[in-house]
Amino acid sequence: MTLSDTTATTVARTRAATERHIPGRRKRRPLGDEGTLTHPSSHGLLLVLPAALFVCVFVLAPLVFALYISLTNWPLIGSYKFIGLDNYATIGRDPAFWQAVLYTLIYTAIVTLPILVLGYLMAVVVRANRPGSTLLRTVFFLPYVIGLSTLSFLMVLEAQPNSGAVNLLLKALHITDGTTAWLVNGPLATGLICALIIWAVSGSTMVLLLSGMQSIPREVYESAQVDGSSWMAREWHITIPMLRRPISMSLILSVIGSFLAFSQFFIMTGGGPGRDTTPIVLYIYQRAFVQLQVGAATAASVILIVVVAAISAVQFWLLRAED
Amino acid sequence: MRLSRRRFLQASGLAALTSALPGCGAAILPEPDVTAPGFGEDSTGTVQVWCRGGAIGAAIQAAADRFHTTQDRLRAVVTPVQDAQYVTKLATAIRGERVPDLVDMDDINSMLFIYRDAFTDLTPLVRALPDRDALSPGHMRLATRNGRNYGVPSLADASLLWYNTDLLKKAGVDPATSLQDFDGLLDAARRVRGLGEDTYGWSIGGNSPGIQGFVVQPHVWATGTDQIQGEIGAQSGNIEGNEPLRQTLEFYHALWTDDILPRANFADNGSTWGADFRAGTIGFFPASYSPAVLAADEAARRRTGVVLLCGPDGGSSFFDGGDNLCIPRGATNASGGWEFAKFLMDLPQQQVLPEGGFTPIRADAATAKFEHKYPLVTAPLEKIKKGYAPITLSYNLLFNQADSPFGQMFRRAVFEGDMDGAIREGQHGFDTILTQAQS
Repeated sequence: MTLSDTTATTVARTRAATERHIPGRRKRRPLGDEGTLTHPSSHGLLLVLPAALFVCVFVLAPLVFALYISLTNWPLIGSYKFIGLDNYATIGRDPAFWQAVLYTLIYTAIVTLPILVLGYLMAVVVRANRPGSTLLRTVFFLPYVIGLSTLSFLMVLEAQPNSGAVNLLLKALHITDGTTAWLVNGPLATGLICALIIWAVSGSTMVLLLSGMQSIPREVYESAQVDGSSWMAREWHITIPMLRRPISMSLILSVIGSFLAFSQFFIMTGGGPGRDTTPIVLYIYQRAFVQLQVGAATAASVILIVVVAAISAVQFWLLRAED
Repeated sequence: MRLSRRRFLQASGLAALTSALPGCGAAILPEPDVTAPGFGEDSTGTVQVWCRGGAIGAAIQAAADRFHTTQDRLRAVVTPVQDAQYVTKLATAIRGERVPDLVDMDDINSMLFIYRDAFTDLTPLVRALPDRDALSPGHMRLATRNGRNYGVPSLADASLLWYNTDLLKKAGVDPATSLQDFDGLLDAARRVRGLGEDTYGWSIGGNSPGIQGFVVQPHVWATGTDQIQGEIGAQSGNIEGNEPLRQTLEFYHALWTDDILPRANFADNGSTWGADFRAGTIGFFPASYSPAVLAADEAARRRTGVVLLCGPDGGSSFFDGGDNLCIPRGATNASGGWEFAKFLMDLPQQQVLPEGGFTPIRADAATAKFEHKYPLVTAPLEKIKKGYAPITLSYNLLFNQADSPFGQMFRRAVFEGDMDGAIREGQHGFDTILTQAQS
């Protein structure tokens, strides 16, 4: 029997044992006509009515309104008229839109995995209640608390040639001569923004994963240790499988966040140079508030909503499929 | 009645639709009757004034405070609105039919609203102004459509060429004779550069499209040429074949290749605009009054001189930046708004504008006393007719955005030296944006 077999057996044995003891997990009773999801009771609906009204007014109504605006030539100023699907056709023919879509996909692909990996590693470092763990948790989470807008403004200053901390550090390390103009070069600006985001957002992933790690019973690890499994084997065969839900949730949130990225680009590059760092939300913003074409911008927003909803649905489906 | 899930969802959908419908309203608001007897005189109540934030907000608020000391019938409530959000917020207010009584806005954006019938026709009131001929014609043009006036100027922010008199003296440059054309400027800038390794001839925010549009265009306007041609609705770019524009780009390219511009200019987004000039290491600095003079210490001011921006072979011009005052249609106290607007245009208010970094919009503000107090402000007032700014609905797109065709053309031509490619790309960019905006 190999070590991984031993670990797998341990995990299976322990999972069965722990599932028997998970408090609050009860077998579902058969559902009748009353109180089921398919046939809800009137009382249940009345109870959710306030929340439903809230959603109607603040989510559905704006959505319906947005759909309507997307079918008009709604300018920021002045009158408008119904133009059917013209905005969608115009958006589809706009190379800038597709450039923004492609850039958003690239950006998402670049940052998603590093955020997860770094968040995981940080959670591993701080999960045990060792001296200093609380301080480290605070330090790791601090960038997220400070907020992207503040960090972006700071980075604009720190990325200045000759005077910014980024360039001074690289110069001190003899990597560059300290004159790199990070924000006027598309790939360099993208790299800098990605580095900033990975650093800033990993803290929130850490918190999500940490809560998952802390819910894994210690007996599982002890049992695996008794069976002689290594640290790596325990992480691979115990921690990661049992963190499937938090990891999935982190990925979903990370992907949605990347698709909706705006402030860091708006502040640090304004989408430039040219359109080299224009993600889809910044494209929508510029279309609405610079080009003053709210109808076309809303059409792009509707497309974005559909795409993000579809991606999220697929991710949720993948998560549910193994249950 | 049994509340089924289907009924519940139907009711929710209907509620959402009902909530959304009120947002679908849009109309041209009623225009105040500016010909009514007593309009703009002895008004009462409150006048809601919107203005840009920062230094402009402070200047308008200071004027409002003075206004309140002169009478107690009418109170001006000043609301500063962040510059970048001004158009959006005003458009939202107009759509929501809750407009201010008077707006003090970037003059370059006033036509956006005038073109959409959002502002009041002030022509009879403007014609009745005793000092109307002294008002900045560049500002007035930006608020005039089909011969009708929809606004009046409140303050100016002109782009001029500032120079360091000490450096020019050391370099043997006579500003009175050497700054008339590009040959003279280039020679002078080269001489200043020759003064030392850390002394540069010229400085510009090379990564700030807004600054480039502000200080580079007047070189072209000085020849009577613009980068935009045609009337609103049928405008197109005037880039290819625009010889003054090509000469201007070549001039800046020479500044770059001859090492007359600091290397930091390449990435300068304007966040430290003018710091090098104020530090005394730059010979020439095209900019407005505020970064060149207001932000400088007394020693730096004493060594500063100013001229208008010249064309390639002579002539001169400056960007007529600043603000216009307009009364939105639907204003509830338009009379009070006009009374406050007149107050803002009065000489006592105009002659203190340099305290906030701005220039008066009246040529007659340049009195001997004023010139003695603010010697570096009078250059654009003495030649107020040289001021210009293009009339277009797409200024921000064409010039101010990171992906603006003017900014991209400038960088490609100046820093990369691809003059033909930059101009070709610029023409395409201008035409695309103008076509989209006018469709």
